[in-house]
Amino acid sequence: MTTQPIVREFEADLTIVEAVESATDVLTLTLCAGDGSALPPWTPGAHVDLVLGPDLVRQYSLCGSPADSGRWRVGVLRTPDSRGGSKAVHELAAGGTVRVRGPRNHFPMVASPRYLFIAGGIGITPMLPMIAEAEASGADWRLVYGGRSRSSMAFVDELEAYGDKVTLLPQDESGFPDLDALLGTPEPGTLVYTCGPTGLLDAVEAGCAAWPAGSLHLERFSAKAAEPAEGGDQGFELVLQRSGLTLAVPADKSVFEVCRAAGVSVVGSCLEGVCGTCETEIIEGEVDHRDSILNDEEKESNEFMMICVSRCRGDRLTLDL
Amino acid sequence: MREHRSTGHPRNAWYALAASTEVGDRPFGSRALATPIVLFRAGDGSVVALGDRDAHRPHPLSLGRVEGDTIVSGYSGFAYDRTGACVRVPSQAQVPYGARVPSYPVLEEGGLVWVWLGEPSLAGRRPPVATPWLTDSAWETFGGQWETAADVGLLHDNFADITHVAVVDPVISPPVLSGVAPALEVEITETTVHFHRDWPAAPVPEWQAKLTDVAHDAAFPQREEGAFLAPGLWADRWDVLVPDEQGGPQSFRFTHAVTPVEDGRTRHIWRVSRNFAPGAEVTDVLRPIFESYYLKVREILETMQQVIDRDGYGDDVNVAADAAALQVRRILRRLVADEGWQPSRRTGRD
Repeated sequence: MTTQPIVREFEADLTIVEAVESATDVLTLTLCAGDGSALPPWTPGAHVDLVLGPDLVRQYSLCGSPADSGRWRVGVLRTPDSRGGSKAVHELAAGGTVRVRGPRNHFPMVASPRYLFIAGGIGITPMLPMIAEAEASGADWRLVYGGRSRSSMAFVDELEAYGDKVTLLPQDESGFPDLDALLGTPEPGTLVYTCGPTGLLDAVEAGCAAWPAGSLHLERFSAKAAEPAEGGDQGFELVLQRSGLTLAVPADKSVFEVCRAAGVSVVGSCLEGVCGTCETEIIEGEVDHRDSILNDEEKESNEFMMICVSRCRGDRLTLDL
Repeated sequence: MREHRSTGHPRNAWYALAASTEVGDRPFGSRALATPIVLFRAGDGSVVALGDRDAHRPHPLSLGRVEGDTIVSGYSGFAYDRTGACVRVPSQAQVPYGARVPSYPVLEEGGLVWVWLGEPSLAGRRPPVATPWLTDSAWETFGGQWETAADVGLLHDNFADITHVAVVDPVISPPVLSGVAPALEVEITETTVHFHRDWPAAPVPEWQAKLTDVAHDAAFPQREEGAFLAPGLWADRWDVLVPDEQGGPQSFRFTHAVTPVEDGRTRHIWRVSRNFAPGAEVTDVLRPIFESYYLKVREILETMQQVIDRDGYGDDVNVAADAAALQVRRILRRLVADEGWQPSRRTGRD
């Protein structure tokens, strides 16, 4: 008899209550449980997987209210270069169902007296519940929200209520956000939250270089370009302490793949170091972090790793699995 | 590698500070997250939670008395309304400007008084978990409450894995628990952990067979479920799948409301609900069985806390059955980190 535990995330077919185009190419879905029961709780910054096909899983931020345990809301941009994920979402209609997994949160909102939110395009979605909570707690906050054009910018109507705390920057009217002006002077005690296209995130990351450690919180839609290891990837020995297993990870296989092949239950979703599902505690070994989730401090601490992409620098890695 | 230590205690959570029956005409003094709290019922019967310290002198308001919608200090005579504002002082007509005690959001649900000690604006944005079985007439419930001199983390670890039950209390334990455990299935979300095991057909414990008409040696499939629903709430169940012609399924639900009083101390409110064998007579048989088991657990957890206090956290060996406990710790660590402060690091505890 096997005694290996099986760990998986909450997964359910949810009913699409509403599917509306909230801006050009942006579809907003409202989801609820088929039997009307409560959905799992979540906090601002959380996302879910929409399971659109056997190999088609995409992550979308929850952008409704955590106070509403009956409904989830996601906003999905149709992207021309997508591998079909957003296109499949845009084919969904009210009355139908969609398979949803999660929620999970690798962009959590840390308590602070001051926030600077910088959103690009559909990157506004995780910010909506954050802003609502920042406002309710009386925190001092600002949002700078850029997009291609006014009509492409979703949820502008909901942001109007916040008055001049929100700066809308449609690119065709106002150009790109002036990050030098926004980030040029580090403000200790202010947390910077940013989400959007890679170019914006890289620029915000560069702009925050002189800010106190821990100031910047960002969430990427797609994997950061990983620097390849010198001389290519190497194989190493993998020790799974709780399972009492020692496995070999060859150069061309990930830790995640090797665990799965050995029948060890590991959870994973994006498999490219973006979603954070496969986060695993490190017991021993120096890890070559290649994900787009952990910040430099977290990588330095060597406490956790994303086993779908990160590897071992030495010849032996021990994990709490 | 992470240092082994307490995960810390999230403040942004609903914690059960008392059973509804504990809050009557007299103020009820309690303590949670190292904060003194007094609970009392206002004129309309609703519960009010205020800081349990007179603003004038360091005297607990819980030693005072309730007058209508106010609570009056038993030393200074200062009276406070349900918002915590001082509305009357005996020695002068003018109420001292700004004199007040903290007030906290309160909810009464399932016969328990839940208090929110974190960021007040989040209280309405983090719905409390519904516990309908505690009040539903299809379930009969009994229980108890006490303080355990152990950190809430040790209680979480305990509820996350029941394989110790057969070791701790062979009498209460379903006989099947003493065999090799089937695979544990764990389901996680951002802030919750559910787990279950489907156990092979086996007899029910002797005490359970006596209460119902099932034969002591008849074997039935059994299912174990556990759920960490919030930092202050576990809801577990044990189902014995008795066929309908033999009386139908027999289910127990175990509700554990856990509140960190401070580091190393926890208020534990436990409830046992069942959907079979109703009646006070059966409850009178069951109560001592469960109370004695939970008291044994309390004693063991207190011993563990003494070991930690003396020798530090140490590097515990985790086994497959700990999968759920580790997910709970991961969630708690993150919730604490979100609140922007570090877990406590008392000497000898790292």
